[in-house]
Amino acid sequence: MIAVRTPGRRERTEKQEEVPSAGGTIASSSDLKAGDRVVYPKQGVYRVTGLEQKDIAGQRLEFVKMTREENGASVLVPLGKVATIGLRRVASADDIEGVFHYLGATYDDPELDWKVRHRDNVERLIAGGVLGVAEVVKGLHSLSRLRPLPAKERELYDSSRHLLVNEISVSLDVPDVIAEDYIDYALMPPAGVKLPLKPPPTPVELKGPPWKRKKPAASEDDDDLGLAELGIDLRAIEGAGAGEAEESEESEEGEEKKPAGEDEEDEGVPVKAAAVKAPPPAKPAKPAPPVKAPPPAKKAAPPPAKKPAAPAKKAAPPPAKKTAAPAKKPAPPPKKKAPPAKKPAKGKKK
Amino acid sequence: MIRIVTLSPFDEGDIAFLSKTLYRSFGVGTENAGERSLPRKAEQPDGRFDALKLLEDASPVRAFADDKLLYLTDVELANPKGPLGEPPAWGHAVQGGDRALVSTFRFKPRGVTEASIEIYRRRLTRESIHFLGHLWDLHHCYDARCAMHPSWSPALPDDPEFELDAFCRDKSERRIRLAKT
Repeated sequence: MIAVRTPGRRERTEKQEEVPSAGGTIASSSDLKAGDRVVYPKQGVYRVTGLEQKDIAGQRLEFVKMTREENGASVLVPLGKVATIGLRRVASADDIEGVFHYLGATYDDPELDWKVRHRDNVERLIAGGVLGVAEVVKGLHSLSRLRPLPAKERELYDSSRHLLVNEISVSLDVPDVIAEDYIDYALMPPAGVKLPLKPPPTPVELKGPPWKRKKPAASEDDDDLGLAELGIDLRAIEGAGAGEAEESEESEEGEEKKPAGEDEEDEGVPVKAAAVKAPPPAKPAKPAPPVKAPPPAKKAAPPPAKKPAAPAKKAAPPPAKKTAAPAKKPAPPPKKKAPPAKKPAKGKKK
Repeated sequence: MIRIVTLSPFDEGDIAFLSKTLYRSFGVGTENAGERSLPRKAEQPDGRFDALKLLEDASPVRAFADDKLLYLTDVELANPKGPLGEPPAWGHAVQGGDRALVSTFRFKPRGVTEASIEIYRRRLTRESIHFLGHLWDLHHCYDARCAMHPSWSPALPDDPEFELDAFCRDKSERRIRLAKT
């Protein structure tokens, strides 16, 4: 038998998992009583007016009735849904103070990828508490200093600012306009004013699929190279690379000894190329040099003289392929050896 | 309709300029409702006036529903102190309400030259649009060229623009249309 899950149920569980517990989140309807002030994510501050029962489609359902303070609109939330919609208590004065210290702190790294930014902002507004809303305002405000916000984000900025103003005014018991002045006083203090800032609270940690989050620089590099896809173990290569590096040094020395009269410039360039290319097919690479002349003759002749150093990156993929098709290997080595071939020739002429 | 009420003596030319520009900005008729006395109850021991109290206690004028009252004064205003300090008060308004207050105390002196008077008038208009904007639920704007940018912002030039940016203009127009219907 195969267990089948309905789409509705699956969605619900995912949402429950996604919502991190911001401070003051209401876990069950029993935490609510008439007169409580709560924040409905992305909606604003509501006052609980009580429980209400209604017959809907032949079922008797119980709802929490709430009234929006801003305009008096009423909302009925089924008791079972209270825990999943992210209702939370209005932030305390201490939380609000932390928000101001956060707003006043310098912010140097606005997210530039709009998709990531949009997802993060929506998630923060839903589940980040008052600090999450402040993060959205601050993030978009910082971005607006770099370039004007696109229409959608301008609206998001305005609505998140509205939510923040609303909650701060309720929490500090000041009019909205004054609450907004406080926010902007922290965001862009007047010239010559130094704000008495404390270390800001730690930003909200979003729980989402890993592809949403930024990857550390090192792993990005690995991904860029696509080594994993090619089935190459980086550790093994590093080991081999170290060994080869030594070998290549030795070989360089050897080369130096042999053609004693050669210029240093010529040595430098091919050495680098060897270090990059050598790793995977270490041993087969060595024998290649002596073979120089026969296979690469056609390809080697034109490129070597112009750009020996630049292909360093391009050189990386060929070695990987070498494992599969060794026929392509010979292409790189000839570059190194082509120049020496010319020089002695010149020398001879002279 | 916007009704301008002065709580201190103002030049008629300044008020005429303000009325004309407000009409152009919001598309709403503007009228000078005359001068009223300054409510002394709002004065604090340090000589400044509590902006919230002043606006509350300012004597009303005859108005209809949807009318907005703009009070003008030249006294120094004070805002309640916040967690990071007291933001400078250039005026006050009730968000989404019907009363706004603008003080010229922080303006550059009006002077007697045409240029200085022009700058003074432009600033008066800018601050009036700013606080009237709050009456139509506008929030502060990050764009320094918009009249809704905070009045004390270091990004603001000496002689700032007194127009709303596209977003704020659209929003205010929507609100005004809703109010009219």
